[in-house]
Amino acid sequence: MTNRSDEEKLLEAVALLNAKMLGLILGISFGLMIFIVTIWLVIKGPQLSPSGQYVVGPHLQLLSQFFIGYSVSYIGSIIGFIYGFAVGTISGGLIGWIYNGIVLLRQKY
Amino acid sequence: METDPNLQTKPSNSEVVIIGAGPAGLTAAYELLKTGINSTVVEKDGVVGGLARTVNYKGYHFDIGGHRFFTKVKVVDDMWHEVLGEDFLTRKRLSRIYYNNKFFNYPFNLSNALFGLGIWNSTMIVLSYIWAQMFPEKPEKSFDQWVTNRFGKHLYNLFFKTYTEKVWGMPCNEISAEWAAQRIKGLSLLKAIKNTLLKEQSKNKETVVKTLIDSFQYPKFGPGMMWEKVTDTLNKEGSNVLLDSDVEKICIQNNKVETIEICSKGQIKLIPGKHFISSMPIRELIQKFDPPAPKEVLEAATNLKYRDFLTVSLVIDKPDVFPDNWIYIHDPNVQVGRIQNFKNWSQDMVPLEQKTCLGLEYFCFEGDGLWSMDDRDLIELGKIELGKTGLVSTSLVEDGTVVRMPKAYPVYDSTYLESLNVIRDFLSQIDNLQLVGRNGMHKYNNQDHSMLTAMLAVKNILGANYDLWKVNAEQEYHEEISREEEQEFKDLSSTQPLVPESINQSIVDQAIIRAFSRLDKSAFATAIGVVSGLAVFLATIFLIIKGGEVIGPNLRLLGQYFIGYTVSIEGAFIGFGYSFFWGFIFGWLFAYLRNFFTGLYILRIKRKSEYSSFKDFIDYI
Repeated sequence: MTNRSDEEKLLEAVALLNAKMLGLILGISFGLMIFIVTIWLVIKGPQLSPSGQYVVGPHLQLLSQFFIGYSVSYIGSIIGFIYGFAVGTISGGLIGWIYNGIVLLRQKY
Repeated sequence: METDPNLQTKPSNSEVVIIGAGPAGLTAAYELLKTGINSTVVEKDGVVGGLARTVNYKGYHFDIGGHRFFTKVKVVDDMWHEVLGEDFLTRKRLSRIYYNNKFFNYPFNLSNALFGLGIWNSTMIVLSYIWAQMFPEKPEKSFDQWVTNRFGKHLYNLFFKTYTEKVWGMPCNEISAEWAAQRIKGLSLLKAIKNTLLKEQSKNKETVVKTLIDSFQYPKFGPGMMWEKVTDTLNKEGSNVLLDSDVEKICIQNNKVETIEICSKGQIKLIPGKHFISSMPIRELIQKFDPPAPKEVLEAATNLKYRDFLTVSLVIDKPDVFPDNWIYIHDPNVQVGRIQNFKNWSQDMVPLEQKTCLGLEYFCFEGDGLWSMDDRDLIELGKIELGKTGLVSTSLVEDGTVVRMPKAYPVYDSTYLESLNVIRDFLSQIDNLQLVGRNGMHKYNNQDHSMLTAMLAVKNILGANYDLWKVNAEQEYHEEISREEEQEFKDLSSTQPLVPESINQSIVDQAIIRAFSRLDKSAFATAIGVVSGLAVFLATIFLIIKGGEVIGPNLRLLGQYFIGYTVSIEGAFIGFGYSFFWGFIFGWLFAYLRNFFTGLYILRIKRKSEYSSFKDFIDYI
């Protein structure tokens, strides 16, 4: 009975992730997220800090501790996009790779 | 009539012999004629049309079983229109179910059924449905399990059990679940998802189902008119339709049918041929082989069973009796299974405006009590049962006749498939014999499917390579065919290899399975956990390596949530542990919710599909 076995196949199947695709999606998402929040703060302009100085995005600026060369500026948004893309791609790819590895291992044993 | 210009290797005239002048046999002859080939059609009966004949009694026309002309196969639809032209009527469909002295809408309307059955039955229907969904019977082997698992035990007992057993003459637990699965194709989950996703296709499908339910087409003087017209054309154009000609022997030599021996009006005749198409019941076909078929094949043929059918037609002295085309009689207190009102199929079926003609359909086995009853007794039984239903007063019945139709339905019992496979194996060795039609293939083909098998058989004679057994077995077969007449046949040739079971799953099906398959929660949770842990671990290590007066003052804030965390080597491991934990929890929850909502979506599609099939379920029995 074809219909029945199709249904069984559908209900029993375990998804495998496309690690490259997941990496690309997370990379673009992270990259865009950093790009947009940076641009937003730049457009918003300087804000008065508790120390009485006008600064642009003092908290987001902390990203520069990890992303060397990053700043809350137009150029920084591009650099942030590249860093975000790289981190997202590696994370997504790693998630997919680990997930698929475990699923295949479980199916094998 | 147009002839096929592409014909290259066609047999010469009268080299094709067709056994049976039903829809399949006559379609084959007609298709051959279109390509310029005359054939010889041999028919046992004195009338053409087979199960789709129309009987004429004193000007009253009876259809044997009620043949709605509806098809998804474009080439079949085209042939109907080509032959019938203006005589092809579009009729509105109205049919109801009679049960427990009440009428219920058909196609089913759940609210109508629940209200009509009263509070007790309605409650039981709902409860037994929930029970069936929670605890379905496994394995699903028989028809009663198949229906119960989908609609619940109570609804099955009320609406499906009695009627199914009337039609098939055997307990529902002896009918194979495969039969239901084959007949009720709308329940394929993949198909339902595909239709939901591909909106355009879905719209078309709904239109098709709606059309089947709401209206159908019908020849002015019944289905026999179609086949009488085809026969006239065949005779006029030089083909030969031999009536009252019973096949006595099928002579085989070197794995080929050489001749058939027929008995026509007491005379024995030999009809040689190069190609043979048979629509006669397989059981009889095998028994006529000369030299005889092997013992196991003969035994397998004997195992094939048929359900027979008789119609008691009553002439009623009243212009209108009820508005339905037909009424399903589910009531166990009467033997009649269905009542046809032929006047509502076509006004021309009845010669006088002030009269009505009803057909009371009884399902039986050849030789059983009903079948052997005297015609007068059957008419009397019909009158009594008609009176019991309250549809017509018996005093209004002024005349009647009985028509018996042997082998109306091939029976799908627990052994038929095994027997059929033995026969198919044997027949596959005979190069020039093709089986078509309903009884010809022992398959519950409707008229359009029977015609399609004949059309493909003709294509095979002309050099194509279609597997006729795939017709009415795979939904895609018909949907493909309805798109482009000639091209589709070619496409099908490549997609329908001559193997018993198709192992190729369509790319779309595979994509759907991939898209809707569940995420492995533990694997996903672990993957997210590891990546989260690594992120914190690497960030901490990075800041340590970077150094400075104060190391990682901001990252240290994580310690407010991850108690014990610091920006240090030890802290990196503690951070990894915390992040892994929370990542794992988040990943597991994400996968769980994703699976849950995907499951809900699939369930919704499944229920919708089941309800849609439930509405016109009786049509498939």
